[in-house]
Amino acid sequence: MTKRAARLFFFISTLLSALIFVVLTIDSHRQFPKLTNAAAIDEQVVAGKDAWHRHNCTNCHTLLGEGAYYAPDLTKITQQRGAPYLREFLKDPSRFYSEERDGRLMPTLNLTEGEIEGLIAFLGWVSRIDTQGWPPRPILVKGSAVPGAVLGAATPGQAASQDPVELGRAVYNATPPGCAACHSVAPGVNIVGPTLAGIPATAATRIASPDYRGKAKDAAGYIRESIVDPNAHVLTGPTYAAGGRSLMPTDYGETLTPEQVDQIVAYLLTLR
Amino acid sequence: MRFQSQRVAYPYFVVALLLFGLQMVFGLLAAAKYLGPDPLIGLLPFDVVKAIHTNLLLVWLLTGFMGATYYLVPEESRVELYSVRLAYVALALWTAMGVTAVVGYVFRWTAGNKLLEQPFPLKIVIVIVMLLFLYNIGMTIRAGGRLTTTEGVLVGGLACTALLYLPALFEFDNYTVSVFYRWWTVHLWVEGVWEMIQGALLAYLLIRLSGVDREVLEKWLYVIVGLTFISGILGTAHHYYWIGVPRYWLPIGGFFSALEPFVFFGMAMYAYYAIRRSGLGHPNRMALHWTIGSAIFSALGAGLLGLAHTWPAVNKWTHGTLITPMHGHMAFFGAYVMIVLGLITYAMPGLTGRPEDSRETTAGFWSFWLQIGGMFGMTMAFATAGITQTYLERILGIGYLDTQLKLQVHFLMLVATGVLFTAGVALYLWDFFFLAGPLAPAPARERVAPARAPAV
Repeated sequence: MTKRAARLFFFISTLLSALIFVVLTIDSHRQFPKLTNAAAIDEQVVAGKDAWHRHNCTNCHTLLGEGAYYAPDLTKITQQRGAPYLREFLKDPSRFYSEERDGRLMPTLNLTEGEIEGLIAFLGWVSRIDTQGWPPRPILVKGSAVPGAVLGAATPGQAASQDPVELGRAVYNATPPGCAACHSVAPGVNIVGPTLAGIPATAATRIASPDYRGKAKDAAGYIRESIVDPNAHVLTGPTYAAGGRSLMPTDYGETLTPEQVDQIVAYLLTLR
Repeated sequence: MRFQSQRVAYPYFVVALLLFGLQMVFGLLAAAKYLGPDPLIGLLPFDVVKAIHTNLLLVWLLTGFMGATYYLVPEESRVELYSVRLAYVALALWTAMGVTAVVGYVFRWTAGNKLLEQPFPLKIVIVIVMLLFLYNIGMTIRAGGRLTTTEGVLVGGLACTALLYLPALFEFDNYTVSVFYRWWTVHLWVEGVWEMIQGALLAYLLIRLSGVDREVLEKWLYVIVGLTFISGILGTAHHYYWIGVPRYWLPIGGFFSALEPFVFFGMAMYAYYAIRRSGLGHPNRMALHWTIGSAIFSALGAGLLGLAHTWPAVNKWTHGTLITPMHGHMAFFGAYVMIVLGLITYAMPGLTGRPEDSRETTAGFWSFWLQIGGMFGMTMAFATAGITQTYLERILGIGYLDTQLKLQVHFLMLVATGVLFTAGVALYLWDFFFLAGPLAPAPARERVAPARAPAV
């Protein structure tokens, strides 16, 4: 090869690559609105994005898998933790995590109410971006839940059989709804919400207690009530509730189908 | 050194190396924070330390590139620099920008966009300095009327660096679009136009150190840069996995970034060829170490370790884990840190007016091998941590925080090897500031060099 041929190779290959790249970029712009659900970007989402930048979040956390590797990925966090929890967490992270126990702690950022609402809206919008199936399995903040909980099915969300208990186990471990992200099914392992190991017996005790405020008559009813109306009976615990309100999302009555609720109840009733 | 104005490279090297030393302080701090608990969480939390660590790297490497260019262009174009004063003004402005940025980060003044954290006014200063630099170099080449392929590729790389910084000036409401264009700057710098710079500096050093035929080396420089852009431009796609872009970027990213190692193997073969043809006879053996080291280490760090997690089916599991800094640390060190240190080492005897073999100091050799060993160890620490994290957190579904606690032993190794690396850097600085001797004073009258010197 002569020097002239080498120079020609350089110019032609560079121009060609750049041309293809620009064409694909233009086509990507055509598809961004649908893939990123851009119509949902309102003032609050933008305010949240600005707060995300202002507080340098990306230099500890990853979002869409991009950022630093010192803190958990937040792409799907709003599907694992409800808004009430995130509100309390962002006010004071040290209430939920400690350096002694967890090795890391997020600094308290003294965020304004507006920033907190913005961040939750922004992260909610991010969680609905079409990420081509990433992450393939939920990335949890904390807790191994139970050995086998995530491994139970080849892919979380897919049941091993059509048995209601198996279907319920699959829904429980899928994100969304993300039950397993906060509730373990191992005795004594309280991730964010209380463990659900032995819940049928625990439920019976609670209904019988004079403190019980809900309407359930049996364990199945209690579990169903807790899913669709977490505030019917509020447990006190450092990460469970704030101001007498549960930190669990309150919209499972709408986001889950009645069949899915039935399946989760069937599954949890087996955790004796 | 044949032109007096080449001396302006010296203060650039001073600033670059001081910032390199400062980068180590923040690197060690960040590594220690992985071990926890963190007594500095209120004063200097991880995010601040990390932003400073990476920004110092970008700033000092660019300072080194600019210094290297000021050293190289007069020699290649056979003419004095257009304006030494302008080069000093640019350096002062640049250093002020860098220091302001670092202090600003400590006080939480940040744009919070990974690697492009510079607040908008500082971004404007960066653009101004780059324009001053390009103007100065452009006028020099024009006055010399001679543009070699090597300096053409070098200056082309720096001009594209300035051009590709422009997307960083814009803000987008859509986070996906913002990430999309962030990589136009970051990826196309480090896996595109900076490779032009590395290739050109490597060619220059190999020509000077081995006396190999310039025509042959420059021909292959075109091929290497051509391959860089075939793989690098469309290889941007490997940053477009899982961020909300169309699906076709996945196979494109997989295919084209799988070609990227060829560029680095090309450069390693290039160095090997030069050695085989002309031997290792040059008396500046430290410069030879860094030059050959850069060719080999970039093939490993940027080439092989990049390939290790660039395929979509692999990246699906490793995306956003410590596998990324494994590749990042060795790639930056091999491709850019070593080539800048190589050029500084090569230029020092000329700048200080000492014999060519004067750089062969014990401190110099220790510095080289401590940095090589330390960086290899850090890469291994990130690799073992990253593989364990991928398996426990991503595959088994164990929580992030619980997984990190299980990685403590790897973080210990990271801190230990980081200390070795820092010792190597400290020795390089010691050698540069205390053993290499001061910048030689400019001769009183012959400072006006002939407009056209005889051919090399």
